[in-house]
Amino acid sequence: MRKYLTLSFISLSLCCAFLVAGCASKPTDEEMNQLSNLKSEVSSLEKQISEKQRSKSDLEKQIADQNSKLQQCQSDQEAVKKGLGK
Amino acid sequence: MKQKTTYWMFAVVVLFILCNCQQLVAQEMTKDQWQSEMSSYTTRRTNLQTQLSKLNDDVSSLQSQLNKLGDDIKACEDAMYAMLGVTRADVEAYEKELADMEKRVAELQRLSDAELMNYRDEISRINDRLNAMAASKIAMIPSYGNRVKSLQDKVAALMKSLSREKSYTVGTWSRDRDCLWNIAKKKDIYDNAWLWPKIWQGNRDKIRDPDIIKPKWVLKIPEGKDLSKEEKSAANSYYRKKAAAAPAYQ
Repeated sequence: MRKYLTLSFISLSLCCAFLVAGCASKPTDEEMNQLSNLKSEVSSLEKQISEKQRSKSDLEKQIADQNSKLQQCQSDQEAVKKGLGK
Repeated sequence: MKQKTTYWMFAVVVLFILCNCQQLVAQEMTKDQWQSEMSSYTTRRTNLQTQLSKLNDDVSSLQSQLNKLGDDIKACEDAMYAMLGVTRADVEAYEKELADMEKRVAELQRLSDAELMNYRDEISRINDRLNAMAASKIAMIPSYGNRVKSLQDKVAALMKSLSREKSYTVGTWSRDRDCLWNIAKKKDIYDNAWLWPKIWQGNRDKIRDPDIIKPKWVLKIPEGKDLSKEEKSAANSYYRKKAAAAPAYQ
């Protein structure tokens, strides 16, 4: 009988501990919405950054092309000047 | 025995309750956890906003750099065209014609010598046009002049392969079945057996009788797709002789 009582006591204590943990203070629905909005804002920012990085690298490539085109044009201009004897 | 069964049942019930409680706790977020996540996401948002703002500045600066480069190139080209006394439209037309020619010459380069014979006139026209383009003022611009020069070299190579005389070394009858008819029939010769008199007439110094050719003879293969008047006449004379020599049927 005593053994039975001890076992019951331990079980009851464990149940109470879990119940207490379960009933700890929880965020409200409004707060949860706030968190969810913040998460989607972060995700949208990450997307925007990745797009910007892509367009930045495109622009860098175009600039490199245009730079070499400008250099080519300048060297052509020099050759034309020489050719015309100017 | 009864007591043991009760213990067991009790233990099972307790375990069941424990599992459920644990699941409930795991699913729901505590205020502390919420607070910690909010703070972590807020920091992340601030960092990302700073990063995005920096990227926006970079992109806008690169864009204006690109626009400036475009303007510089245009100014450089305009100055060069003015020196030469040509307009941008002239240069664009020149560029287009040159690009079309480059494409066509690349196609012609892929043809075999035999196929190339059919484009002799076109190659000659391209060559004349390239000479005219090389004499143009626009060819003084090295990026165009070099392209014209390179194309001229390619066309010269095409013309060289056109002028190259083809030849054929006669094999043995037993192994190669070589006779004028069979040689003319070959794909890389004329691909037409009826053109055999061309080979005969082109090699009169060697071939007295078109029925007799000897192994190891190197025969010239005159170009052309049709028989000339002389070749036709020689062929007719050969056929007449053959007909006369054939025994008459009674």
